[in-house]
Amino acid sequence: MAVEYAVQMKGITKVYPNGVAASRGVDFEVRKGEIHALMGENGAGKSTLMKMLFGMEQPTSGEIWVNGEKVVLSSPTVAISKGVGMVHQHFMLVPSLTVAENMVLGMVPTKSGMFIDKKKAVELTREYSEKFNLYVDPDARVVDIPVGMKQKVEILKALVRGAKILILDEPTAVLTTQETTELFKELINLKNQGYTIIFISHKLNEIMQITDRMTILRGGKSMGVHNTADVDPETISRLMVGRDVVLKVEKEPAKPTDVVLRVRDLEYTNEWGKKMLDNFSMDLRKGEILGIAGVEGNGQKELVDMLFNFNVPDYGTITVNGENILGIPQRRIREKGVSLVPEDRMIYGIAGTASIEENMISDRAGARELNNGPLFNMKAIHNLSEELIRDYKVLCKSGAQQVKMLSGGNIQKVVVAREFSNNPKLIIADQPTRGIDVGATEFIRKKLVELSRSGIAVLLVSADLNEVMELSDSLIVMYGGKIAAYFEDTKDLNDEIMGEYMLGLKQQTAEEIGRVCHE
Amino acid sequence: MTLLEMIFTPDFFFSILRITAPILFATLGAVVAEKAGVTNIGLDGIMMMSALFGSLSAYWSGSWFVGLLVAVIVGILEALLMGVFAFNLKTDIILVGIAVNMVGSGGTLFLVKVITNMTEGTALASTTSLITKALQIPTVNIPIIQDIPVVGQILSGHSILTYLAFILVFLVWVLLYKTPLGLNIRSVGENPNAAASVGVSVLKIRYIAIAFSGAMAGFGGAFMSMYYAMGWSLDMVAGRGFIALAAQAMGAGEPFGSMLSALVFGFAQALGIKISALGVDSNLVSPIPYIVTILGLVVFALVTRARIKRARAAKAAQAAAEAK
Amino acid sequence: MNKKRSMMFSLVRGLMAILIALGVAALLIFISAEATNIGDRFVQTFGALRQLLISPILRNNGSVNVKNVTDVLAAMIPILFTGLATCVMFSANQFNMGAEGGIMLGAFVTALVAIYVPIPGGLLPIVAILIGAAAVGVMMLIPSILKVKMGVSEMVCSLMMNYVVMYFIKYTLNTQLADKSRGQIMTFPFQENAAIPQLIDNGSKLSWGFVVGIVFVILTALFMYRTRWGYAIRMIGINQDFAKYSGMKVGGIIILAQVLGGVLAGMGGGIEMLGRYSTYAWSSLPGYGWTGITVAILAGNNPAFVPLAAFFMAYLNKGCNLMSTYSGVPAQLIDIIQAVIFLFFAAEQFLSGYRQKLVVKSAQEELQRQAEQAAAEGSVK
Repeated sequence: MAVEYAVQMKGITKVYPNGVAASRGVDFEVRKGEIHALMGENGAGKSTLMKMLFGMEQPTSGEIWVNGEKVVLSSPTVAISKGVGMVHQHFMLVPSLTVAENMVLGMVPTKSGMFIDKKKAVELTREYSEKFNLYVDPDARVVDIPVGMKQKVEILKALVRGAKILILDEPTAVLTTQETTELFKELINLKNQGYTIIFISHKLNEIMQITDRMTILRGGKSMGVHNTADVDPETISRLMVGRDVVLKVEKEPAKPTDVVLRVRDLEYTNEWGKKMLDNFSMDLRKGEILGIAGVEGNGQKELVDMLFNFNVPDYGTITVNGENILGIPQRRIREKGVSLVPEDRMIYGIAGTASIEENMISDRAGARELNNGPLFNMKAIHNLSEELIRDYKVLCKSGAQQVKMLSGGNIQKVVVAREFSNNPKLIIADQPTRGIDVGATEFIRKKLVELSRSGIAVLLVSADLNEVMELSDSLIVMYGGKIAAYFEDTKDLNDEIMGEYMLGLKQQTAEEIGRVCHE
Repeated sequence: MTLLEMIFTPDFFFSILRITAPILFATLGAVVAEKAGVTNIGLDGIMMMSALFGSLSAYWSGSWFVGLLVAVIVGILEALLMGVFAFNLKTDIILVGIAVNMVGSGGTLFLVKVITNMTEGTALASTTSLITKALQIPTVNIPIIQDIPVVGQILSGHSILTYLAFILVFLVWVLLYKTPLGLNIRSVGENPNAAASVGVSVLKIRYIAIAFSGAMAGFGGAFMSMYYAMGWSLDMVAGRGFIALAAQAMGAGEPFGSMLSALVFGFAQALGIKISALGVDSNLVSPIPYIVTILGLVVFALVTRARIKRARAAKAAQAAAEAK
Repeated sequence: MNKKRSMMFSLVRGLMAILIALGVAALLIFISAEATNIGDRFVQTFGALRQLLISPILRNNGSVNVKNVTDVLAAMIPILFTGLATCVMFSANQFNMGAEGGIMLGAFVTALVAIYVPIPGGLLPIVAILIGAAAVGVMMLIPSILKVKMGVSEMVCSLMMNYVVMYFIKYTLNTQLADKSRGQIMTFPFQENAAIPQLIDNGSKLSWGFVVGIVFVILTALFMYRTRWGYAIRMIGINQDFAKYSGMKVGGIIILAQVLGGVLAGMGGGIEMLGRYSTYAWSSLPGYGWTGITVAILAGNNPAFVPLAAFFMAYLNKGCNLMSTYSGVPAQLIDIIQAVIFLFFAAEQFLSGYRQKLVVKSAQEELQRQAEQAAAEGSVK
């Protein structure tokens, strides 16, 4: 008997208008009635591939077949009509509506043609809920229900619209362990009823537990299809987190001295009740680059937010050179010599319609050397900006150009130039080279090393394994809001070891982790 | 007779309802628009325009009903035009509202001069007494209730629009919470991506919502020029559209809560009128509704903040307990 | 897109907006014309448009009408100030509509000082205006602090305050300050040394206040583009998250922007009062605040362009007045023209297709330039 395919994507290439190739000739096949894992690091092209399957993006070239029929998926509506449903990582639910109302949104049953037939909506929800063994409370408002139930609502929403192929985008990222166990039972139940499930994840143990086969993506290319039963976690880890090009950065050994940044006992539970930081403590010393590695969503973002008072922990302390920086205005954090290269440069890093020059001075507009009494010293500002443009090799026509007109790499150079040049004692670099070209990446990495060797403490948070491993003198791996591993020396580290900690296969002892606190 | 007895007479409570009605119409418009994520600050200007066309149409046609109909249609058309600028030409909705209010002030005066000049041969000397008793929006006495002492004096004998305003509170609630359209409006306002992902047209729903707010402002405008005053005069709406926005905010965007807020403003203004009738300078009491609006917003902000603070404190306490 | 091209785009876009507004005006005039047959209507419309567009400057015989020109310049004075006030407030992304009440309060307080406080010589107008301006600055603390500390909408709050200010002034004027010997409600006359001297004494009331206005245009432009506070105001307006992250005192600056807006509006009121009148008689909001908003939008919130925008609005206003005198088209046409221009200036997507074309063209040229540069470098190596 020939194998029946639910989905066949052949030679899919996707180039975004900004020139980034997210998929490069990917073949992706899913058999009917299987749970198929789609794995890969951040930026490997998983989301892009699935967006194309759900009609949210169109491939630049390649073919998509659904249930043996060649299709053009021009919108999610078309994809739904072909039986493809997707559960997004960020739920597409309306919080103030009830579960039943969310279920029927866009296809509301009515009585006497005018009013919402609540009873019917509730019945429909119950019917599907029972049929698929996905327990939800139809009358509860979505805002009041736990995350796990929200996810079930999303799955039911897809099912009620006739989906036979379900795409789940990192469904467990927001779930507690118990909820995950429950979800897996439900997914296997769905599989037994003949549904096909595509499961995006980078959590190895989960994949081993419930999937039949897997496709691994890396750098927009497929690393092959495997039967889950035939591969061991180490192989997967190697295929997934291997590095394609290793940009070598020359650096002398670090000579770390006094502790600059001290973080103790941070606890944070986010608004959906998931613990994002769990008893997190660390020290960062003068003259070293401490890397924080880990798959995104394991607490790194929350940590950085707290270091710069964009969020407040439920518990814990943070000090810089012995002075508290927790919960104080950003202005005073900066006065203590802290600089931040923010993860999202377009939101925090720049004022888009202002000039390059204006963006260069945002943290020091009041500085004496840039002012003549009440007025700006335009010449000094201009000179500073020209100097930074030159030193940081910002490609632009002049400092008067609007910063948003620059390429991503050059915008990042503007941010970096500002943050690195204000005599910082501590630099927090959050994903400093994400989405920018190779030249700018190399430049920024070299600068970070140079600065650390001149005696600045650098905290490098990056989901780019290549980056953290190359640059860091010592390294933390975060998993589930905790430190999974601390390496005092990165010399002997390799991808395999890292992968195992990043994916939660291994966990160091409390003693080993405790070494990150230099007391 | 004490001062309180002089103030709190049945006709005082009657006047609260009468004064609240136009604010309530605009408030309901603001409620529906805001539910769809549209902040319509042009309500004031739309009311002016509808007040003008309503009274003129009633005068020409000799029918209050035609006047009312025209007022509502004008309101809807103006709101749709706002939609074109705000949704299609991507103009900041606040700026669109400002422009509408500009037209509502001087623009209506231009129109009244031009239109009456055209139709009457010479411009009407004044439109302030355009509406005669016969053209005024009719009042109704409610059987049985009108015979109850005090209650009858307060509740009976209002214009049909006053009753409509309060009935509409219930109807808007039904619309928002009991119909598919209402479901779509709420989902578009809260999470447009979610609505769009299941095939709800965000643009269409926003147009419907802003058109509804225009219709409500149309009713409010007609009430002003065809019942509250006996004709149109410049700036007669006097910020009621803005008070309505405040009432919407204070009512947390819900029809009944917003109605209560509108009643507070109605009460403040009725009280002012009553006090000035007792001999206090009207200029001293006229600003009361506006001051009450600001105070109302402050109180609302304080209450909201206290609630958020409590939730945060509870969470931190829990985390501290867990950490130990 | 390079600077020249984006200037050109702004220019074309502005002209288109003005043309559309004039088209709407022409249509309204045509509809309101008194003639019955179409031909005469065209003639009347044309005549009215000529009044609107040309007569503020030229007489029918083609010579310059000096009186009309000075009228226009004099009418610029209050809207220069409200325009500047709105520029400062809108630059911080604060939709404060208080310039309207602000100019009235500033005028009133200035008038009180000018009537009752005995200050010698030329010091009186200066002190009076400064006190008036300061009063409005203090008034603006209310909406701005409520915004920063409690998140109360500065727009609704400032609008409500406009009414409160108006009634407050009416009350004090009627009951306390009115000169009962006059037929109308007005205050006692200002002290003689309170008057701002006229630049040209032809009845246009073009006072030295105009010069002060231009000086304040320069000062405000300097403040916004050459000081750290103006810089902070603009950055907050562009991206508040960025400003906060950069360590600016966001709350304080938001308050500063609105207080300064108030000071400017109040100053405008005081100057208008002492430059044009000899007693205080405003009993309703003067409308200069709303025109100021239009001026700010036309100027793209840049103080340097405020004189041009204010001249344009004053010119159109004068044109509308002349038109209504000579052709019977009501002068309030200005409000409709104003709203239409305003809307098209504010509409982001207006002519966006044209803008897109320019952007693409620029990008292509840039790529070509880079390619040439690379080729040149290659040949050097």
